[in-house]
Amino acid sequence: MELIFILIIPIAAALLSLVPAGKKFASGITIAGAVAVFILTLRAVFAVAGGRELTAVRNWISSDGLGVLILLLVAFVGLTSAIFSRGYMGRIVEAGKLRKVRRYYFRYNLFVFSMLSIPILSQVSLVWVLVELTTLLSVLLVSFENTAEALEAAWKYIVLTGMGAAFALLGILILYWGMHIAGGEAFTWAGLIKAAPAIPPALLKTAFIFILIGFGTKIGLVPLHTWLPDAHSQAPAPVCALLSGVETTTVLYVVLRLLPVLEASKTINTGNWFIVSGLISVGAAAFLLIQVKDYKRLFAFSTIEHMGIIMVAAGLGGFAGHLGAVYQILTHSITKSLSFFAAGSVFLLLGSRNISSVKGLIKTSPITGAALLIGGLAIAGAPPFAVFLSEFSILKAGIAGGNYLTIGLLTVFIVIAFCALMFHVNRMVFGKPAQEPLNPGLPPAAIVALVLAVIPVILLGFYIPGPLNKLLLYAASSLGR
Amino acid sequence: MINKIVFNLLQVIVVMAFSPLVKGVIDYLKETVQSRCGPSIFQPYLDIWKLFHKDEVVSEQSSWIFRFTPYMVFVTPIFVTLLIPVLTRYPLFFAFMGDMLGAGFILALGGFFATLSAVDTGNPYGPMGASRTRMVGFLAEPVFMIVFFTVSFVAGSTIPYIVQKVWVTPLSNFFEPSHVLVMLAFIMLIIAEAGRIPVDNPSGHFELAMIDESKGLEYSGRGAALMKWGGSMKFFVLVSIFLNVLVTPWGLAQGNSLGAVLLAIPLILLKIFAFIIVLVVIESSFAKLRLFRIPEFLVAAFITSVAAMITYFF
Amino acid sequence: MIDHSATPTLLTQLNALTGGLFLLSTFGVIAVRQVLGCLKMFIIQSLLLSASALFLAYYYSSVHLLAVAAIALGVKPFLIPYLLRRTVGEELTSRREISQVLNISTSLLIAAGLTVFSYFVAKPLLSVSGGIITAVNLPIGISALFIGAYVLTVRREAVPQTIGILTMENGAFFAGISIASGLPFIAELTAAFDALIIAVVMGILIRKIHERVGTTAVGGMKALKEE
Repeated sequence: MELIFILIIPIAAALLSLVPAGKKFASGITIAGAVAVFILTLRAVFAVAGGRELTAVRNWISSDGLGVLILLLVAFVGLTSAIFSRGYMGRIVEAGKLRKVRRYYFRYNLFVFSMLSIPILSQVSLVWVLVELTTLLSVLLVSFENTAEALEAAWKYIVLTGMGAAFALLGILILYWGMHIAGGEAFTWAGLIKAAPAIPPALLKTAFIFILIGFGTKIGLVPLHTWLPDAHSQAPAPVCALLSGVETTTVLYVVLRLLPVLEASKTINTGNWFIVSGLISVGAAAFLLIQVKDYKRLFAFSTIEHMGIIMVAAGLGGFAGHLGAVYQILTHSITKSLSFFAAGSVFLLLGSRNISSVKGLIKTSPITGAALLIGGLAIAGAPPFAVFLSEFSILKAGIAGGNYLTIGLLTVFIVIAFCALMFHVNRMVFGKPAQEPLNPGLPPAAIVALVLAVIPVILLGFYIPGPLNKLLLYAASSLGR
Repeated sequence: MINKIVFNLLQVIVVMAFSPLVKGVIDYLKETVQSRCGPSIFQPYLDIWKLFHKDEVVSEQSSWIFRFTPYMVFVTPIFVTLLIPVLTRYPLFFAFMGDMLGAGFILALGGFFATLSAVDTGNPYGPMGASRTRMVGFLAEPVFMIVFFTVSFVAGSTIPYIVQKVWVTPLSNFFEPSHVLVMLAFIMLIIAEAGRIPVDNPSGHFELAMIDESKGLEYSGRGAALMKWGGSMKFFVLVSIFLNVLVTPWGLAQGNSLGAVLLAIPLILLKIFAFIIVLVVIESSFAKLRLFRIPEFLVAAFITSVAAMITYFF
Repeated sequence: MIDHSATPTLLTQLNALTGGLFLLSTFGVIAVRQVLGCLKMFIIQSLLLSASALFLAYYYSSVHLLAVAAIALGVKPFLIPYLLRRTVGEELTSRREISQVLNISTSLLIAAGLTVFSYFVAKPLLSVSGGIITAVNLPIGISALFIGAYVLTVRREAVPQTIGILTMENGAFFAGISIASGLPFIAELTAAFDALIIAVVMGILIRKIHERVGTTAVGGMKALKEE
């Protein structure tokens, strides 16, 4: 029952936020909706951690460990960025342009809805529609600032991901064809896994390649990534947090769902496909990170890097590899949203996106400086934080599996990316302040969002709560056969 | 045996006699469609008659090629007529001499001489038209080839009498995509080869814009008559290959009697008339392409023919 | 999907003809120079798509495919052009040549190459299963998918790029009606709805770009690039 409410609440919030009532009404409704969704999600988490599968409508709306993990991440980031939006929009949009704000929250809620529904729906053909919807509903959020650059980014975003979606559509149709031949009944994830051994390998392989190209565009796998740094840097910061933190993850979730289906067929070396496409992304992103000039692009490229790491981890296989992958999904989402909140705060303070124009942040605004430092360190994978643990567990799993070449390359790329990230973040946080900030301080809502986002980043570095640990184990087991 | 020879000669006579009429009807219809008062449909006959009674002027600078070409242009369509089904469904006496590919090459021979003669006189417009015709021709060549390949894939033969049966037995084969696409490609080819709009304007009088017409500018008297007559015969032959082999192999004489063959004459004229209406609609609804757009037209024809082959082959 | 017979009938031939013309109209999207011509080609293509769905509905006696044909007929050739016209405005109907990276002749030849390639992609699938209908629809659908993607890369204008994406979807559906006719109805419905939203969102974006940048030649927008 939770699942249905989780789907209804964002739509209701979207419609309500169009109501012209007061300056803060839309953001209040959005935050309230996000809190409700988050609480319902926690209930779902506890239910699944207790070993129960959630089913609202058989073969249509149901979720297991992996699905609920994604759901939790979307709900969490949806909540923090709703709070951050309140502060951010108050500064960015000129006073009096209430319609613009209302439209922002309307689209925001619909966008969150589309992402929430992907892990909940088990009907594969609908999942395609929803993945396409995540694009369509977020395009106008990307172009929100209506500058030439933002419009260009939005255009690239919709054209490339629309192209990918068409490829993925054909892939999914071929998958359905294969399942039909194999005699499967329900076109759900579970039904696919059941039918997988009887699906002709030729169909499975072609379907997988089409889906990998299609959704790989959305995930940002190199060389299909070209839109990602643009869209993820031009959107307003709370939207960036959603795009980078969870939208990529939800699409990656769809690709990961195919892993057990593909492994049923012995003729396809699925792991290698995942590892190669992942390594290319990690490597390219690591080198591109070095020469970035825009700090939002910095984090966008880091998203490409992390998506690659997760692909490699999933491809390494074995329970340890799968656990590493889902762990990395978790840590990346929460850390990346913090990074973008920090970046958004810097933008609010200084009004510039150039790395070179930001110096000595720790002196001008200790909170922003600290948040950026923590976000940067955490996303780069520095020791006390959660990403370090997840990356470490992936490397460990790879070495235990004997994939020395893969792990060697991965380690080199991660180290390069770490150095590049630290180099840029260092320049921004420390040193002598170059200019006076445009605005004296951060809006209180932004500070609340930053604090909320920092908590799990630090906490998960030391301690994983019992139910979350169970959830991760279930999620990892649903990646295996 | 003697029947077949007679029919074959009858075929030639039909082509010779009615080809100016076809040209006249096209001109008349085109003018009428464009709400103008057109010439009589017998005007081409009068033109040819008049030209035969005029003196011929031949440049002193020209060589034998110039004098020889009109006969070549006149004779090649007649040769082709011997090979293809114009009136009968069964091969006639001379049909063993060549297939559709052969017919294409014989027609090309006439074109080759026309090109040479255009260069021969030293008239500035002649070589220009010749080079343009060559451009169109050499871009049309691959289309011809692919169309014939497709035809031979489908029918297992390039002999027109075999090909014409394949696409109508059973009748549902008529809707075979390869067939429809080959038809489309061939129409485009006829337009390009016969110099119709949108590739070339056959009734244009501006030398700089001419493609096909400027080659014959130097001819007068009997030479001009033969060139004109040959040109209209070439068009007639192309259209009858298209109609009798590719599109509508109906109405041809089945039996061996003279009556059946004579009956085929009005039927084939009727088919050509229907085709002319289509052609006039095409000609009236498009503008002439600029010269450097013509390759695009022919590439489109090429793609159509390739698509025809692909959809059949796989 | 089990075919009733492997012998061609008038119905399968008509479907094959629809397929051939569908392919031709896809080439048309590349060959046409005017923005409006591009849209017309898309309309023809969508009509052919619903015609093919209609033939298949009759062939498999499937009510479901009939509904798909009806939805496709309602949404694609009529509603989408209407919405595009509403959102984009006069930029859609202006007679202007589309700037592109390669000339049309080369583009068409490459498109022919893509078609051959898509037959090679489809071949292993067809050898697994599939009868006379699938053998027509699947490769032609895949080639429309590829050609649509090619349109995106080669045309620098916003509206033709939109048409390119819609062409790709048409291609995927053209293949889909032959291989996945049992797909849940709601999925088909939402997918058609999805095409509508694509048209609307891209239309709005085109209008905004036109207002802001002054042109819809999106290929010229190069403010953002890899550092």
